Amino acid sequence: MDIAVEELAGGITKVVLRGRFDTTGAAVIEMPFNAIVTERRGVLVDLSAVTFLSSYAIRVLLVGAKIVSSKGGRLVILCPDNNVAKVLRTAGTDALIPVFQDEQAATAGVASS
Amino acid sequence: MRSDVAELARLAGWIEGWAQRGALSPDVSFAIALCLEEAVANVIMYGGAGDERLQIKVEVERDAGISTVRIEDNGRQFDPTQVPSPPVAASLEDAKIGNVGVHLMRSFASDMRYERRNGLNRLTLRFLEAQATPKQAG
Repeated sequence: MDIAVEELAGGITKVVLRGRFDTTGAAVIEMPFNAIVTERRGVLVDLSAVTFLSSYAIRVLLVGAKIVSSKGGRLVILCPDNNVAKVLRTAGTDALIPVFQDEQAATAGVASS
Repeated sequence: MRSDVAELARLAGWIEGWAQRGALSPDVSFAIALCLEEAVANVIMYGGAGDERLQIKVEVERDAGISTVRIEDNGRQFDPTQVPSPPVAASLEDAKIGNVGVHLMRSFASDMRYERRNGLNRLTLRFLEAQATPKQAG
């Protein structure tokens, strides 16, 4: 699993994740991901290129959102409507972390904090 | 399989190959891969990660549009069907971390049965080809 970071306008950090966000993948990106959410206040996590999502991945996302939120910031997820989005819905994650299907809406979602 | 989370990557590749050979729908393939990952990760975590005595056996079969997955292990007794679904959190601040895995299995599998026999945990999950969407929580 890969992690890449892009800085967007308005102080928003876009974190692009790629591959299988399973127990194995989460263990790879957990440390760099935690470093980003600890430093930044506006974070957009792009799951468009994520093909699989497990409960361990949800744990990583929730911990990240809690860290950003504790600083008065906001973490949102960009994810097309696919099986990964289905996992987020089934786990109730989408009720805790805003999930958007397009980048423009996601960027506006981060900025609204 | 050994009691090592590194085995999960090998399992993921194996089940993906099996689903492709059987021409399973992408939704059913995803559901099977998800439930297997959650079930085996639970066995490794609760059954004793790194314990060389722990053996996990996974079997899959498909018949008349129904895929059946059996996971058998000699670890500590653990019945995932008795794990309650986590309560719905009112806010991010109140949200508890964890307990989601079994809830996902219950939702993405059509049917989940557990039995303890001869000192072994045996979990049987079934997936119907027609059931492409997860069941509602409850």
